[in-house]
Amino acid sequence: MQLAFDSPWYLLLLLGLPLCWWASFRTLAAFGRMRRATAVGLRTAVYLLIVLALAETQWVRTSDRLTVMYLLDQSLSVSQEQTDAMVDYINRAIATQRNAARADRAGVIVFGREAAIEIPPVDDDQSMPRVETTVDRDHTNLAGAMKLARASFPHDAARRVVVISDGNQNAGDALQHARGLAEAGVGVDVVPIRSRVVGEVAVEKVMIPSDVRRGQPFDLRVVLENTAGEGQQPRPVDGRLTILRKASGHEQVLTEQDVTLEPGKRVFSIREEIDQPEFYTYEARFVPADPSADTLPQNNMATAFTHVRGSGQVLLLEDHENRGEFDLLAKALRDMNLEVTQRSTRPDELFSDLAQLQPFDTVLLANVPREHFDDDQVEMLVRNTRNMGAGLVMLGGPNSFGAGGWTNTPIEEAMPVEFQIKNAKVAPVGALAMVMHASELPDGNHWQKVVAREALKALGDQDYCGVVHWGTTREEWLWRGMLRVGPNRANMLARLDRMTPGDMPDFESSLQMALVDFRRLSNAAVKHMIIISDGDPAPPNYGPGGAIPALVNIGVKITTVAIGTHGPAGSTPLQTIAQRTGGKYYVVTNAKTLPKIYQKEARRVARPLVFERESGFAPQITQQHEMVQGIDSPLPPITGFVLTTPKANPLVEVSVVSPLPTGTDMNPILASWTYGLGKAVAFTTDTGPRWDASWTSWPNYDRLMSQIVRWSMRPTDETGKFSITTDVADGKVKVVVTALDQDDEFLNFLNLDSMVVGPDLKPIDLDVRQIAPGRYVGEFDAAGSGSYLMMISPGAGQAPIRTGVSIPYSAEFRDRSTNLAMLETMAKATPAGGRPGQVLDPPLDLPLEERVEKLLETNTFRHDLAKATSSQAVWPLLLFVCACLFVGDVFVRRVTVSFEWLTPYLRRLVDRLMGRDGRPDVTATMDRLRSQKAAVTGQLEQKRASLRFEPVPEAKGDVASLADEAASTAPLRERPTSTMAAERDAEGYTERLLKAKKKAQGPRRRDEPPGESKPKS
Amino acid sequence: MHRSFIHRRSLLALCVGTPIVAALGGCRESNSIGSLDLVWGRRGISDGRLQKPRAMAIDGDDLLYIVDMTARIQVFTTEGQFVRGWQTPVHTSGRPTGINIDRRGNVLVPDTHYFRVLVYSPTGKLLETLGGTFGNAPGEFGLVTDVLEDSQGNWYVSEYGEYDRIQKFSAERKFVLEWGGHGIAPTQFSRPQAMAIDANDHIWIADACNHRVQVFDTTGKLVKFWGSHGSQPGQLAYPYGLTLDPQGHVYIAEFGNSRVQKFTSDGQSLGCWGGVGRAPGELLNPWALARDSRGRIHVLDTNNHRVQRITM
Repeated sequence: MQLAFDSPWYLLLLLGLPLCWWASFRTLAAFGRMRRATAVGLRTAVYLLIVLALAETQWVRTSDRLTVMYLLDQSLSVSQEQTDAMVDYINRAIATQRNAARADRAGVIVFGREAAIEIPPVDDDQSMPRVETTVDRDHTNLAGAMKLARASFPHDAARRVVVISDGNQNAGDALQHARGLAEAGVGVDVVPIRSRVVGEVAVEKVMIPSDVRRGQPFDLRVVLENTAGEGQQPRPVDGRLTILRKASGHEQVLTEQDVTLEPGKRVFSIREEIDQPEFYTYEARFVPADPSADTLPQNNMATAFTHVRGSGQVLLLEDHENRGEFDLLAKALRDMNLEVTQRSTRPDELFSDLAQLQPFDTVLLANVPREHFDDDQVEMLVRNTRNMGAGLVMLGGPNSFGAGGWTNTPIEEAMPVEFQIKNAKVAPVGALAMVMHASELPDGNHWQKVVAREALKALGDQDYCGVVHWGTTREEWLWRGMLRVGPNRANMLARLDRMTPGDMPDFESSLQMALVDFRRLSNAAVKHMIIISDGDPAPPNYGPGGAIPALVNIGVKITTVAIGTHGPAGSTPLQTIAQRTGGKYYVVTNAKTLPKIYQKEARRVARPLVFERESGFAPQITQQHEMVQGIDSPLPPITGFVLTTPKANPLVEVSVVSPLPTGTDMNPILASWTYGLGKAVAFTTDTGPRWDASWTSWPNYDRLMSQIVRWSMRPTDETGKFSITTDVADGKVKVVVTALDQDDEFLNFLNLDSMVVGPDLKPIDLDVRQIAPGRYVGEFDAAGSGSYLMMISPGAGQAPIRTGVSIPYSAEFRDRSTNLAMLETMAKATPAGGRPGQVLDPPLDLPLEERVEKLLETNTFRHDLAKATSSQAVWPLLLFVCACLFVGDVFVRRVTVSFEWLTPYLRRLVDRLMGRDGRPDVTATMDRLRSQKAAVTGQLEQKRASLRFEPVPEAKGDVASLADEAASTAPLRERPTSTMAAERDAEGYTERLLKAKKKAQGPRRRDEPPGESKPKS
Repeated sequence: MHRSFIHRRSLLALCVGTPIVAALGGCRESNSIGSLDLVWGRRGISDGRLQKPRAMAIDGDDLLYIVDMTARIQVFTTEGQFVRGWQTPVHTSGRPTGINIDRRGNVLVPDTHYFRVLVYSPTGKLLETLGGTFGNAPGEFGLVTDVLEDSQGNWYVSEYGEYDRIQKFSAERKFVLEWGGHGIAPTQFSRPQAMAIDANDHIWIADACNHRVQVFDTTGKLVKFWGSHGSQPGQLAYPYGLTLDPQGHVYIAEFGNSRVQKFTSDGQSLGCWGGVGRAPGELLNPWALARDSRGRIHVLDTNNHRVQRITM
């Protein structure tokens, strides 16, 4: 233990200590030697403590403990076999090298593009059977892992990281972080992951023009590379080269031939011509005849795509459960010369990336519910409009808008209307209660939060929502029962984030709680409950008085979601609950499907958003617009539509409205606006199948529908010739645009708005600037493999230029040899106060098991690092002690402490020990008592004398009483000579003295009135 | 005669008496049935550590058998020293929620989510298996919670789920009879979580979700029942663990109230111990308790991943 000072200059005040002593000796001269010495000592201590407190004294402790964090590379360049060997190494190193007596800690961090803690630093022989944490393996971000390790180290121990990697980083700067670690005193050991490099064949790239015209011939080139392994002679590799052309939903083999690849690079080219306007992806694959000639099969494929321009295309997405519902609309559009592609929402038909949406100039969502799309697909639809300029039209139906669970989704953001009703008089409300039971599923709590969040998002502002879970001692509402979502949504989401559902013993109590709140919500048109559980809680009471019959009575349906149930014992009760209440029963094996179930169930609560009137009502055109040009108002009657509210935005144009229901400001049937680069249209009735039956025979039906679709479509007019080339190098994509007008003259000073969408559907900034006449250049980082779509807009109202670039495989497959130089440099950095790290690199020719044995010969828990120190401020303690001593100083100076009373006791003790007669000398004692008695008597006399003249309230003005008093007091003065002498014989001295004392004290007793204090005769 | 408002003596009495009255007045704050003797156990999955332990039993040698969420059965001394351990054969569907010791010292493990009872030797050798089929027919089981043996060697197996019942098996493991059913009426159960047997071969059952104790004879005839839901002394909230002493007292671990409560055999509360929390002397959803040969109560403090010992 050591002391340190944060403000050591204050210690100079100690020089004033002699002055303090001098002053103290002078002022304390009147005291005895002992008291003076004590007082000075205490003052010195007080002074000293104040100075130490001012100097911010720290109590510094050093620790022998060591924490070792193993950083394990999980990128694709590390094989599974190597990972398994390294996991084994880590387990054995922790088990054999960790110093348990020193309470050393060990932890493991795994990393790819990002880093995650597999095992936090703990002082236990934790063993990991395998790596459980999933990281993005497309990249190696060693720097991120080091940063995380540094943040994870406890402060009370020396620190070391053991980097287990091939060192082929392609994100971050590991060397810089290694230097930072060294400066912070963290040691770095390195275990290079090495593998023998054999021959390698790779399809480097496929080259085609990014934008071609219909019927224009072009060359497709495939670049292949054949490299020899370490110490091997270059040799040709035989194999089969296949080139495919893929368009939306179909693919065609262009060529499939056996080729011999000579060492080095080789280019194959074919002539290609396209007649159909479409977005095409070309894929080249090379499969070597001898697999041993190739190390990494992942880089044997490359893709590229191009866009062939044509007339407008429409994608009509319909519900796969109601296939054919919009055939009439499709036919009408085709009759109006639009190319319509009908797809259902079945997963195998639905688009999976943004590229598949590119052939279409507008997308119609025809009565499709939210749960048929995953989050990425919803995001793609929105990006397709906002960033790619395509149209987005949502057609009505009971599965559309708010009724389709689209509330609070990005689609609602893109639409010109809000999917909720602000007027509570019109919108019947729904109520949803969720019961959450702790799940033993991995990440169970996480998924419970996800599903609750999704369900909450799908609810409208007027709806009610509540969540019941097991708290610490009982079932609890997560917030105060069933509350209206609108004003509480943010708070509810925050509460959900903090929710940790416990192990609920039974369902009955939760259902009873929900029952009470459902009864309170008499205005709720739909009452629904969802239970998510593994079925462990005891089943509810189905009999009279139980929650289930009571809930059924008030119309509550319960949907149960069995997740991770323990076989039929867990699932049967859940099934029974759903069956008895008319709800649905789901079995979930993959937690990722949970949000969809909840969205679907939350949609049941949103059903009241559909407005239907069998007698029909005629929509009115309120505003002239391109879409309703030439159409007379009113439109033919409809029988229903989905309630929405126009957004309060000047860009929103509501062209057609419904006269019903009354009580709202406006009931939009047709609304539109410009959203980003594209246009979005909300058509809240269903164009025929259910609510607009009279429209099918209406002559203007085709015209209205085609005008709506055409207005929404992406512009296709060509005012200039633009050619785009892209080049991928060092993880960056370079885009070069050459702009010519119709006369092949350079187009200068264009303001090119550009947007790139990465494979993760996230937008990437692309700044395209003019660098020469008609030449514009931009560049962006290509972080991962996949398709990058580019949209460059030459100006307002002009057709955007679309192109793309494909990065076929991860950067992890580019570097095949271990970056030993970088790893060694990291290990060489000398940590502050310690010794440099070690490179644990056994010979490459050893089998993996033996290499692990060799690795274990180096102790990664060796303590050659600076010991950890921790400091604690002690000034509060110093000040406390100082205050106590100060009181002591005052005490010593103000109070005379005498120990004379001890003397008789000590003397008696000594006598007893010496065997002498311990009885006190009677004569001496009697003398002392007599003198004491005389003193007491004197005091009594004084007291009486004083009392005699005290005013006595009762006596005031009362002569008789004064006479009595005189009579009673007079004998007292005279009695000592006669009466007291007689008593002296009868009573002992001690009794008399005690009596006298009592009398003397009598008048002072607080609880007696002044009149009673008079001595009694 | 004048008297001061608070007499010096009454002030003194007030100071001394208030904490005592406070301690006696509410069950939650009181530890009136015993005092904390030892706290041991640490969260973890290595030997000697506990990961949400849910069941505990004690054998004649005062060794504690604890089963936790890793499906390990670990044996400890009453001082918390790890002796040995083993794991159930499979546990992916779920982990055992009960454990008991038979008259020969064998370990009975109700393998809850596999609808069976496993019998182990004290050293962890699997000797016998009863059941294994889900259902409500004789010999079939739902979620098995506990198993115990009477003086004649008969077995009683409790289960919950759709069929909350007790099945009796002869010493030869033949089905003898069953009683119960899911419900709130007397003789019905809602999660019979734990059982104990007294000297008269009366079977005491912690009827957890009905918040009561039911007592039956060996023929399934209801002898008595008592208990109501609540947090006051004398009330129960999810009694998960139950043990008896030779004087006829009943000790109950309450999952809901996070406490141990002592009762007379007629259900009169004699005091409580514990309360919600993580500090020593506090409990977080205890599942089980056991009484050793010296009369000390060991409480399985489940969500604190530890054991607390109380001296009576």
